[in-house]
This record gives sequence, C-alpha cells and structure tokens, in this order.
Amino acid sequence: MSTEVMNTQAMTTNTMSINARQASLRPFGRPSRLWWVTVVGLGLVVLAGIAAWVLQLMGGMGVAGYSDQAFWAIYIADVVTFIGVSYGGAVVSAILRLTGATWRAPLTRLAEGTAVVTVLIGAALIIPHIGNPIRLYELVTRPNLSAPVFWDFVAVMTYTFASIVFFALPLVPDMAVLGQEHGPHLGRRRATLYGWVSRGWVGAPRQRRILAGALGLVSIMIIPLAVSVHSVLAWAFASTARPWWHESIWAPQFVVAALYSGVALVILVVAGFRRGYHLEGLITPRHFVRLGFILATLSATYIYLTFADLLPGAYVADRGTAAVFTELLTGRLAIWFWLFAVVGGLLPLLLVALPWTRNVGGMVTAAILVVPMMWLKRILMVVAPATYDTVTGVFGRYHFTWVPVAITLAATAAIPLLLMLLFRVVPLLSIEEIEEIEEMQELSDLEKAAATRPPTAPGEPGAHDDRLVGTTGKAHRVAGATGVLLLAALLGILGVSSPDHAEAATPHSGTLQSGTPSAPTVTLVGTEAGGLVQLTATLTSPQRRGLPNAQVAFLFTTTEFGTPGRLVPLGSATTDKTGIARLKYQPKVEGQQGFVASYAAGAAKPVTSSTTVNVTAARSAYQPAPGKPLASVGNVLVLALFAIVAAIWLTLVAQIWRVRRVCRVAVGVGTGKSGLSTL
Amino acid sequence: MQSHPTHPKEGGPIDPPPGATPDGRRGLSRRNLLATLGVTAAGGALALVSFQEDAQAAMAPMAAKIKASAHAWCMVIDLRTCDGCKACTMACQQRHGLRQEQTWIDVYDMKDAAGETFYMPRPCMMCEDAPCMYICPVGANVRTDDGLVLVDVDACVGSRACMAACPYEARYFNWTDPLPSKRMPAPSTPQMPVPQKGTVGKCVFCADRLPQGELPACVSGCPMGVLYIGDLVTDIAVNGLGKNVVLSEFLRANDAVRFKEELGTNPRVYYILGHGQNLGGAA
Repeated sequence: MSTEVMNTQAMTTNTMSINARQASLRPFGRPSRLWWVTVVGLGLVVLAGIAAWVLQLMGGMGVAGYSDQAFWAIYIADVVTFIGVSYGGAVVSAILRLTGATWRAPLTRLAEGTAVVTVLIGAALIIPHIGNPIRLYELVTRPNLSAPVFWDFVAVMTYTFASIVFFALPLVPDMAVLGQEHGPHLGRRRATLYGWVSRGWVGAPRQRRILAGALGLVSIMIIPLAVSVHSVLAWAFASTARPWWHESIWAPQFVVAALYSGVALVILVVAGFRRGYHLEGLITPRHFVRLGFILATLSATYIYLTFADLLPGAYVADRGTAAVFTELLTGRLAIWFWLFAVVGGLLPLLLVALPWTRNVGGMVTAAILVVPMMWLKRILMVVAPATYDTVTGVFGRYHFTWVPVAITLAATAAIPLLLMLLFRVVPLLSIEEIEEIEEMQELSDLEKAAATRPPTAPGEPGAHDDRLVGTTGKAHRVAGATGVLLLAALLGILGVSSPDHAEAATPHSGTLQSGTPSAPTVTLVGTEAGGLVQLTATLTSPQRRGLPNAQVAFLFTTTEFGTPGRLVPLGSATTDKTGIARLKYQPKVEGQQGFVASYAAGAAKPVTSSTTVNVTAARSAYQPAPGKPLASVGNVLVLALFAIVAAIWLTLVAQIWRVRRVCRVAVGVGTGKSGLSTL
Repeated sequence: MQSHPTHPKEGGPIDPPPGATPDGRRGLSRRNLLATLGVTAAGGALALVSFQEDAQAAMAPMAAKIKASAHAWCMVIDLRTCDGCKACTMACQQRHGLRQEQTWIDVYDMKDAAGETFYMPRPCMMCEDAPCMYICPVGANVRTDDGLVLVDVDACVGSRACMAACPYEARYFNWTDPLPSKRMPAPSTPQMPVPQKGTVGKCVFCADRLPQGELPACVSGCPMGVLYIGDLVTDIAVNGLGKNVVLSEFLRANDAVRFKEELGTNPRVYYILGHGQNLGGAA
C-alpha cells in the first residue's frame, strides 16, 4: 500500500506543491520593470569589467597594480573566493540530501544553480590572472604533470562537470511536470527545451528509482570533488617554499573557508529570489535559521582553523613566518586582518547565537558580512606572502588599481545576473523534490495511522527510506570509496623534498711557488696510466745537474671559456734529489690535453716546458645530486590520479546515460500513462 | 488528479530494455554499475598508456638527464671582492633588453654579523632540483643537457607559479610591453630569450655564449672579478679578469657555500664568503 501511495506522481492536491509549480512559473512571465533595471544594471557592470580586462590585455598586467614584488594578488584571491562560494551548492544540496534533511527541498535548485554559476565565474577569473591567456590550451596539449596548477585545472573541470550534472539531472522530472501540465504558460522555446530534456519521463517508479540512484551517486561524488578542488587550490600555494603558504593546514582550511562563504552566499541568493519572486510561502524564516546554524558551525570551525594556522608559526617564529605574521597581526595588514576576524568571524557567529537576531534579517546580515570578509581574508593570505621577499626579508607593496576592482565587481555582478537569466529558463524550485518530500510526510502520517492496527499485507519498510536519503546501498558505497581514493591520492600529489648535500670533488694541491737563484731548464713528460695522467718534470741546472728541493708548478691548458688557450694552475710539487717533480692528475676530458710545468727562480723569468697527453680514460668531476627520494612514488601517483579522474568522468557520464536510457525505454514501449511530452 | 498505482516488479507497464536483466530493479542497477566500472577501467587504462611518457618525463630525476653531459655550467661568486657597483646587473640588462627593475642578476645590500654592509650578487641558481621546473603548469621551463634551467617564453602561459616557487626570487615578469629592442631582431630561444609581454624571464647564464667559449655578460662585465663561470665536469672556472682556477680546489680552499642549501634545491651557484657574514636569506 505504501509504495502505491508514494509512487503516485500527480499528488497535486497539496497546496504547497501547487505553490511550488506556480512559483517556478513566476519567473517565466513577462519580466517586471525592476527585473529589467536590475539585469541592465548588472549587465553594465559586467561589460565594464570586460572592458577593463581588454585594457589589461593591451597594456599588460602592470595596469592591474602587479609587479615583481606582488606577483600574485587580487585575481587569484578572486578565483579562490568564487570557486569557494560554489561550495554552498554542494553543502546545501548534497550533504543535506545524504543526511536526509527534508527541509532542503525548496532551496536545492537555487543552491545548485549558484554552485554552477559561481564555479564557472571562478574558473573564468583564471583568465585575467594569467599573463598569457591565449596559451591556456597548453594545459591540455603540454601539461606538466607534477604541477599543482595543472591538477587544479583538472579538479576544477571535474567539479564543474559534476556540478552541472548535479544541477541538470533533477531538471528532468521538473521539466516533465511543467511541460506536460503547464505547457501553455511556458512559451514556445521553453516548451521545446523542456520537451527535449524530459522526453520519455513519465514518472514511472523505475524511472524515479534510477534518477534517485543517479542523484545519490552524484551527491556522494560531489563532496570529495568539492574537497579536492579547494585542496588542490591550497596546494598551489602550499607547495611553494614561501612563509605562511607552505603550511599543511592550508588545504583543510581552504575547504572550510569555501563551505563557510558558500553557505553565506546561498543565504543571500535564497533571500534575493525569495523576495524577488515572493516565495515566502515556500521558504520560511526557519530555512534561514537552519542555514544560519550551518553558517555558525562553519564560522566557529574557521576561527579555530585560523588560530591553529597562526599559533605554531608565530610560536616557533622562523624568520620568514615571523615577518609575515608580524605584518599580518600587528603590522601594516593588521587592521584588515582584525577586521576580518571580528566582522567576518565573530560577528556572524554572534548574529546566529543571539536569539533576537536569529531571524531572516539577522541571517542575511551575517551572510552579507561573511562573503566580502572571506574575500578579504583570501586577499591577505595571497598578498602577505607574495609580497614578502624571501631573500631580503622586505615587503613589497601591492595597490589595487581600478582595473582589477572593475573585473572583481563584474564577476560579483555576474552571479545575480547569470542566476536571474538561468531561472528565466529553468524552474526556480525543485518541484519533484518538494512534492516527493510532501508525499513522504503524508505517507509517514498514513503509516502512523496504520501502525495502530495490524498490517494487512507485508509492506516494504525500506523503500521510502531509500527515497528519503536518495541513495541505494552498494552503488553508493563504491562511489564513496572512489571519493576516498581520490582524496587519498590527491593528498599525496606532491613529492616530499629532502635536502641532499652535494659535495664538490676535492683534489689536493697547492699553488705556492718559490725558487732558487739560477737559470735552469725544465722538461715535462706526461704519461697516462691507470686513468691518471702522471706528470714528470725534470729540473736541470745550467750545470746539467738535477735541482733538488725546488717547487715546480704544474698547469694545464684549456680553451673552454675562450681561445686562445689559457693556463689553469693544477698545483705544484717539490723536486727530489735528482731534480724530478711528479704530480698525478685525474683527467676530466678525453682527447689531447696540454700540460705545462713551470719553474720560476725568485724574480727571474720562469722557465716552462709543455707536453701533450692523449687522454683516453677521463672521469668527469661532476657528481649529480641524488634525486628526490619519493620521485618514484610520484610516478605511480600520477597514473593513479589519471585513472581516478577518468573513472569520475565516466561515472558522471554514465549517470546521465542511465537516466536518459530509462526515459528512452519508456518512450519505446509506451505506458498506460498519457501526457508524454510531444510539445 | 488521479493516481496511478503501478508496480514494475512483476513486469508492470515498463518492460526491461533489451539486454537488461529481467530480474527487477536492483540487479539492473548493479549491472549498470558493473558496466560503468568496466568502461571506467578501460578508460583509466587508456589514460595510463597515453600519458605514461609525459608522466615519466615529468617525474624522472633531474640527475639522470644531466649526468652524461660534456658540461655542467656553474657560477662561483666571490663576495670578498664585490663592491656593489652593479656593473653585472647593467651588463645583463643591456644584453637582454631588460627594464631597470628586471634584475636577472641582482646585487643585494646585506648586513653581516657586525652590522657592516656587504654586497651579494644573485643570478639564477640553476638548481639541480629546481622548484620552478616542478611547478610550471605547462612545462615551460626547460633543462638543457648542461644543467641550465631556461624558460621557453614561447610556451610560458604567465601563471607565475615559478615566481612563487623560486626560493631565490630570481624570476621577473614582463608586466608591460618590453623595451624597444636595440639589437637586430632574432628569433627567441630559451638560450637567448626575447622579452615578451605576459611571460616570465630570468637569468640564463648567457647560455648562447657558453658553447662558443664566451663569458656571460655579467662575468665579463664585472670589474672586480667577483663572478666566475665554471664547468663542474672539466673542473675549471674563470672570471672576467682572466683568472683561471681548478673549480673544486677553489671551492674547497675558500669554504664555498650555496645559498639556502637546506632547501635541497642543489643550486649551481657557489658563494665564497669572507666577511663572517650569514648567508641565510630571509626565509
């Protein structure tokens, strides 16, 4: 009995469902003047940003205030901020879906839409950040697989795709409902789109089950994907040897920061659309308070992580870290840091904690504080270490110019603009989800009533739980495991470096010269034996006797740094009783090598003799430093990561394919249900 | 509105599609999943094969690539005689057409332990384990067989990740249009790069000169003979005043050190101290 009730699609007798449908149709009507004014205003801001970017392209990034002292600044902070706020969609939609929080239903579409829009804007903001955006295709054609920025690109692309899938899949039933039952209100183009998207969707139990399964799988996948995106973004900073960037806490801190600002943005978007399209009947103050509680939890977590980030570095106080933290906590940046800490951390927490601000106004105020303050924190996190010169210990300066400000404002304006345009096309609310949850609530009422008498037939007790959570067992455990694997693999993306102390080869010689007062002659003979050149210099006095105890200098000739050949002193040796001085030399280069023996007696002109040895066995003096110990691990890791990324993409595509197929089957076979969209 | 109590378990209105299991919903979904995983594994394998060479190239230890070379260029900087005149910087900027703030070889004013000023020229360290090589997203840093780390400005996307990664602050970006060239136009090579807006540049040891037996601009431009260009293979180094030394002996006898040795970058620039100074850097 229970499934029969539950599978009934068209339970539209409920007032809230009708509200949801009507509310979703509301943005499709003739736009109000306010809508036009807003869209044109936001559009102008976006155009101004694009113009600023064109100017930057022509003049170079210098016009944005960048210099070698501040090589990363506002744009990368914007990228982190905008991709960060897209986490709101993941948290509100995916986490609440998985935890079975039914109150999410009227918010999910808005949250997921915000996620898609902001991640696209965030990805686009990489373009002004890059000095040579026309070459961005090289990330595909010639990637460096050990670069965090490349994996950033992979992670952002994967997350964007997953967000779009997560946004698009629930559209199928909603578009079917609206297309079939409210077709005349849609307009021709929307009706065509809806008919195409929802073709074959009749709301049959198997279709709904497969859709729920696909959505459950994607909502599990999107959480580790979201975590991976911000972790890899953090590692783009943390994998450099800069103070404060090179911190192990950065990845989790980035993730929490993203969730925090993301929930705040969802509050703002929900508040805006609730007011603009009069959704007060569906989205109640309780929704805001519940989002506020999530916001407060994340605020407390973020304050904790910020403290945990700063304390150990400030305590040990390495030169670089101490300098950056001093600048941040008491120096030139202190006012901004404490502004963030109070206005962006404590105040939102208070607004949620105090009962008399725990209402729509209070929550929206908290969100309005959080979003720009988290941007400010990102600016501080980027600019303080980037401007610090790790050789001299001096801070460079970074000043905004109007160009990056215009681009940042344009990106900000693009969020409401794109959302307003998006919800002119797709339904504003997740009708299916709202109706489903209402059915479940009715069902549970029925079951409560039924529980008072003995059941007449064995029911299916687990069935509605599946729908509540939106997942079905095994498939999702596999997906979860994939996510865990992905995380584990990403965590090890960068090899660990360890200092290797290379030592220069150290042959032994000396170059002192002294002599005896006479005008002797010197004869040099060189032979190669056992890989060594044996140089023998015979020093003879004018009386043709060997000269003992005299210093003979040995040299060799080189043309390496230019011709003519020059003499490089090798060392010297003292002659024995017969006037013979010997020196062994380890030759470095094969081939003909010239040697010189030189003897200078006091201030007299030195006497020299030269010879050439054909070196056959040379040994390079150079010993390369050993490679990094974990380099081979990195090799395996890259392959594993590619396999995981491929698996994620294929799984996501498979979910679309699954839902499309179950619709196609319905079209091919036909059902007892009419109203299949042929609009 | 009416309700449709349908139940597919016993072959309801929807027949299983051709090729699907006839036994109900869970089996079907599991089969789909298995198929998905199968396709996934195949895709993964494809990715492995197609990117294996890239992966190995990216991860191969630098040492293996440069072991067998005929040269291994390095530099020795004798701080005892540097008077901070910056002739090296100017010679470099003139040769490479750089702006004034683009100091590929910079000369820092440093304080020694007694508070006295000493001068420290800083070219690119040509690290054997160069952080910039690992971090460049498009692999625009190239390593020559001689162990020089060079930038292919025709590939550089301008992400500036290398500027973040370089512990020696040795990289400079072309934030605006480069200065008008005073020399004959020539194609840009990693060895002799022509500055290009939106790309990074750095000291190249005048890699185009070295094979010809010419000295880098800074070495020949230094009136004090502070800078030596050397070859770790042939064990020779020479400065701009024509002093030739056996490199290893020179380094040993003068207690040469490397800048930020503790980072494990294995730089190829050696410093000879002599003021009792601390060459720690700031981070």
